[in-house]
Amino acid sequence: MTQGEVINALARRRMLAAWMAREIVPHEAGMRAWLARARVSAEDIDELMQEAYCQIVSLPSVDHITAPRAYFMASLRHMMLRRIRRAQVVAIDAIEQVENWRDESIVSPEDEAGSRITCQRVMAIIAGLPERCRRVVELRKIEGWSQKDIAAHLGMSEKAVEKQVWVGVRAIRAAWANAEAQSAQRMDQAERGVGGGR
Amino acid sequence: MTPATEHDRDMAARFVARMDGENWSEADEAELQLWLDGGAGREGLLLQVHAAWLATTPAAEEEIVEEAPAAPAFWRRRGFMGAMAASVAAAVGAQRWLDARSSFATRVGEIRRVPLADGSVMTINSGSELTVRMARGSREVEIAQGEAWFDVAKDAARPFTVAAGKVRARAVGTAFSVRRRETGVEVLVTEGVVESWSEEDESLRLRLAAGERALLSDTAVVHYESDRASAVDRSLAWRSGMIDLNGTSLSEAADEFNRYNQRQIIIADPAVADEQFDGLFRINDPQGFAEAVKASLNVGIDESDPRVIRLMKSQ
Repeated sequence: MTQGEVINALARRRMLAAWMAREIVPHEAGMRAWLARARVSAEDIDELMQEAYCQIVSLPSVDHITAPRAYFMASLRHMMLRRIRRAQVVAIDAIEQVENWRDESIVSPEDEAGSRITCQRVMAIIAGLPERCRRVVELRKIEGWSQKDIAAHLGMSEKAVEKQVWVGVRAIRAAWANAEAQSAQRMDQAERGVGGGR
Repeated sequence: MTPATEHDRDMAARFVARMDGENWSEADEAELQLWLDGGAGREGLLLQVHAAWLATTPAAEEEIVEEAPAAPAFWRRRGFMGAMAASVAAAVGAQRWLDARSSFATRVGEIRRVPLADGSVMTINSGSELTVRMARGSREVEIAQGEAWFDVAKDAARPFTVAAGKVRARAVGTAFSVRRRETGVEVLVTEGVVESWSEEDESLRLRLAAGERALLSDTAVVHYESDRASAVDRSLAWRSGMIDLNGTSLSEAADEFNRYNQRQIIIADPAVADEQFDGLFRINDPQGFAEAVKASLNVGIDESDPRVIRLMKSQ
């Protein structure tokens, strides 16, 4: 691989991740809730989400996707139907739930609230990180400093800064996954409570 | 697909942290490829972790439109990355630069980040118009109106020159902003050294280092400030969608908000125009600013007209 290809690969990965962070991540809680309503287990939801992310990576480009959230949900739905067909025993209402799925492109208030709560929770997670790690993550994420500048400022090596960022990435990923699972559960309960005999 | 193990997640986080830095190398890329090939679904997991990390940036960044670049962007200009940028550009095809001229315009309130073919990145502020011309021996940007900040990829063979009227600012590999104002052209340097002059009077050549700013007219240096890195950072807060006021007069602050918003702030009473104010605000929130002013100064606000917000001495 040439240096040029290395740079291109990195630039593409960063751009795609930024796109996902902007278009999909804020809606993940809502999507997980929707899957939970179709009686998909928490482990399977994780797998489906990961599979849908894989599908995005495999695209040559995302430029043609004008409604990312609807696109992502359609791909989840497709994977789920495939799964249901493969499964031997199928809950009737699971199919119904999936079949009745429609594109709700408008962001629901639950979604909005969900992603706001999640973001707050992530900020809380950052605040709760060990001192050294917290300073690094705050400078990087909130102040937008480069790892190099942080290293110079805190008198650490760049490798050491990267290590702290790694700890931060892990903590934040866990926080997202957790918050999503919780809000999915909450929305599901609320829905069952209000919906009654569905 | 097999579900991700804790170890997989660990590895994904490790790669994301490394990609987040500035030292991504061929060896790193090879190591990542090896890991990705080692298990189905790892590509998706990596993207998921990467997106989660990027998604926690404060909301201000959402307003910055990322242009889909034709060529690589986003990496930093220093060290071997700069050299790599140059080699990529060469690989991409030198003939493409020849007389590749493109124009950009931003509307009021719009801030746009545009990666350039040479690996530089420019962030164009609200209500600006500029033209970029990439040639074999030079990189030129002409600002017809407004302001832009440049993060220049190092390439000693092709100086990066920004023109605004008759004023010029030139850099090799550095970061600086140029703003065309009514009173002259303001050059702010955030990193490295920038040479600035006027075509009208070459003797006015000025070397600006990081943290320095100068306001140049066609014939004179109107204003010069040094060692005020924090002031330079404040003036560039717009890059993250913020306005940072520090002892700014209300009339200047109103001008800043009016640059970005259709709903204009009008100081209806000259008695309050010189009141000073501090605070960090979102660029698109003149209302929040007005409320804060009302709460901390003896100033009243009138929001009855949806097109304007009036500030006046409160009765």
